[in-house]
Amino acid sequence: MTALTFTSKSNSAHNVDCRRLTPNNLANLTVAQIENLSLLNTKNSPKIADCFDVSGTDANHIIFKKTHHQLDYIGHKMTSGQITIEGDCGDFLGANMRGGNIICHGNANDRVGDQMRRGLILIAGDAGDYCGSRMIAGTIGIYGNIGSNIGFAMKRGTILLTKVPSLLATIQDCGTHTLPFLTLLFKSFSAFNTPFNALKNLRVQRYAGDLACNGNGEILICNTNVSA
Amino acid sequence: MIINSIKIDDTFAEAFNMRGTRVLITAQNHKWAYHAANAMTGFATSVIGCGVEAGIERELSADETPDGRPGISILMFAMGSKVLMQQLETRMGQCILTCPTAAAFAGIESDDQISLGKNLRYFGDGYQTSKLINGKRYWRIPVMDGEFLTEETTGMVRAIGGGNFLILATSQPAALHAAETAIEAMKQVPNVIMPFPGGVVRSGSKVGSKYPKMFASTNDAFCPTLKGLVNSELSDNIESVMEIVIDGLTFDDIATSMRVGIQAICDLGESSGVKRISAGNYGGKLGPHHFKLHEIMGSASS
Repeated sequence: MTALTFTSKSNSAHNVDCRRLTPNNLANLTVAQIENLSLLNTKNSPKIADCFDVSGTDANHIIFKKTHHQLDYIGHKMTSGQITIEGDCGDFLGANMRGGNIICHGNANDRVGDQMRRGLILIAGDAGDYCGSRMIAGTIGIYGNIGSNIGFAMKRGTILLTKVPSLLATIQDCGTHTLPFLTLLFKSFSAFNTPFNALKNLRVQRYAGDLACNGNGEILICNTNVSA
Repeated sequence: MIINSIKIDDTFAEAFNMRGTRVLITAQNHKWAYHAANAMTGFATSVIGCGVEAGIERELSADETPDGRPGISILMFAMGSKVLMQQLETRMGQCILTCPTAAAFAGIESDDQISLGKNLRYFGDGYQTSKLINGKRYWRIPVMDGEFLTEETTGMVRAIGGGNFLILATSQPAALHAAETAIEAMKQVPNVIMPFPGGVVRSGSKVGSKYPKMFASTNDAFCPTLKGLVNSELSDNIESVMEIVIDGLTFDDIATSMRVGIQAICDLGESSGVKRISAGNYGGKLGPHHFKLHEIMGSASS
């Protein structure tokens, strides 16, 4: 079975809401059925075929091709499987995510993982503002640069970065530590072809917060030097 | 049956159904993994008094463990699932949580899952966090040396306990040397443990006692100093008997372990002082698993 692939037709004049294009929503549907689905649950919603060329059969692995920064809500409420984005994507990537993996090989806009509860989001490029906002749990990794207000109202969960961002006052520095669970986490990244595969060093700078909420979330600044 | 001048009795070891689990313990180095594993499997020789029978299965190299650190694989057996769960939790809390740098992981797959760190997490007093990695849930509990990492659950499987054989020799040193030789060989067999001190037990028991409160007492028929007093199983030249008890995940694992152990003793030959190999049973009425020595050693006889 080949991965179910959505190839964006062109840069749209409007943002495209991709929340229906998740493994759990599209399981057991044929390409024709998927093409005929409405993008949104509204009267005048465009069909999926209006925005994407659809191919492939394995809805458990969805690939987005020729993507751009106006594709919003990719992986919204997804519960299992994998979504691979071969370029950039829009806002709310993996918002309300409940499980599975999202791999973005480009950049993502704002609100990555908003209210995410479980699962993994890896972004090879940059991410916008409010990354991990209202995050309940799960793991987000951003290899590139990050916008402002990261971890805003974050309750639990882990955000992995490679650069120190500007942090909210309610996210506190807990010092530099060698965390044993990172071995398991890094090992699990090896299934995906991302720059995160190069991470080997278990020594990280740990920030915890958001103290305005539960304060059990963490932002870990990984060291990209290979030596452990 | 006689193998290399050592007589193998036409008898059988009688074994029981148990519940078993495996836990992988890792640490900064093998020294601390052994500290944790030895504590975890301490006071776990017999279900009669200890609740569980536990032991070290083998040493694990760093590339065999989930977190890439040196480790130890331990097996733990109990007569029922409830006791096994209780003992595992208690021992995890007192022996692994407390041991510097130690972490614990599930060592066996099964549909029956029992708590490893599931309830231990509350030690974190609200600062504990979980990570779901590749479908497995782990708990990170902040402790004074850093973070204690444990998998949430491990598998519980049906297992067998009480495989055994007796080494009958002309002297105590001879019996012990033979037992040690057998244990060294048996340690190479996977899926089994020999839970007694050093793998060897010198106080084999029989069911019942003259004292009403005792449900087990010394196996007088195999006590060399009682040869003239009781209906002894020992001939004049036997002066010491050692027993090796084996718990394992399957019948074949225990049978393999017994064969390897007995063969190692037989390889020592007549000069070792070992005269006979026998086995402990209760007439075949109590335990459903019978390990017949002649069948186990069948292919090795000469």
